Amino acid sequence: MLRIPCPHCGPRDEAEFSYRGDATVTRPGPEDGIEAFHGYLYERRNPRGWQVEWWQHGAGCRAFLKVLRHTVTHEIRAVATATEALEVPEA
Amino acid sequence: MSAPEPTHPLAAVATPGRHGAAGDAPLRVTLPRRDLVQVMARRGREEALARAMQDTFGMAPPAAGRSATGRDASAVWIQPGAWMLTAPRGAEGALAARAAAAFAGLAAVEDQSHGRTTIIVSGPAARAVLARGCRIDLHPRAFGPGRAAGTQIAHVSCLVHQVDDAPSFELTVFSTLAEPFFHWLLEAGASHGVVIA
Ligand SMILES: [Zn+2]
Repeated sequence: MLRIPCPHCGPRDEAEFSYRGDATVTRPGPEDGIEAFHGYLYERRNPRGWQVEWWQHGAGCRAFLKVLRHTVTHEIRAVATATEALEVPEA
Repeated sequence: MSAPEPTHPLAAVATPGRHGAAGDAPLRVTLPRRDLVQVMARRGREEALARAMQDTFGMAPPAAGRSATGRDASAVWIQPGAWMLTAPRGAEGALAARAAAAFAGLAAVEDQSHGRTTIIVSGPAARAVLARGCRIDLHPRAFGPGRAAGTQIAHVSCLVHQVDDAPSFELTVFSTLAEPFFHWLLEAGASHGVVIA
């Protein structure tokens, strides 16, 4: 079980959150074509390592949060609000 | 002719008296009649809303995880830019109308008085009973009077608000889930005993 430090609510149990996937995916422009939209909808890096991902604190403040999590160790290194930048560390 | 006072959502299950084990430190449960009004700031109007809340209710909007007490109402933070105003039950819709007039153009105002039910649990047993279904830490080191948190208790979404050192906690849940929540509360408190006022 993960403990996620919500910037609004403090540390909370994973069960209060919904996982909403890779937070680095950006929606293509309307003229970018079917391949770009196919990638946007279906293709993910699925990294073994650090990933910035969306978690929504649905049972608390309801905010969408960016969480920097290691997909192997489950270590959570940083949490940010939706409008803040959160970078994946090098290697 | 005014409408009759609606039946309390827990009228059928909250039988006054003693439930569960005997003992000298039971969980005390009261069911206050409350008006509840949700206030959500419009983007960029938070400061003007804070001034309006100060002028009309005599309190500043509380910061995240906190509550504030004004002249005749309290406010509990529920999410960024949003608060729950609470006051003893008055004339139908009056608190919402007052808030809507005070916050016109500054916030969305929604009356939740029928949709939510507040249960107060109090006494030395309160923390131990709540810990049976609540994931957040209510120890005095981590929580205390004036603190509030939206969380789940026994899988039911619940706004927890500590009001004093007794300790007393106000638990606000959706009225549709108040009855199963109350059954859980009676079960969780049975080993300490529960006294319903
Ligand atoms: Zn939160």
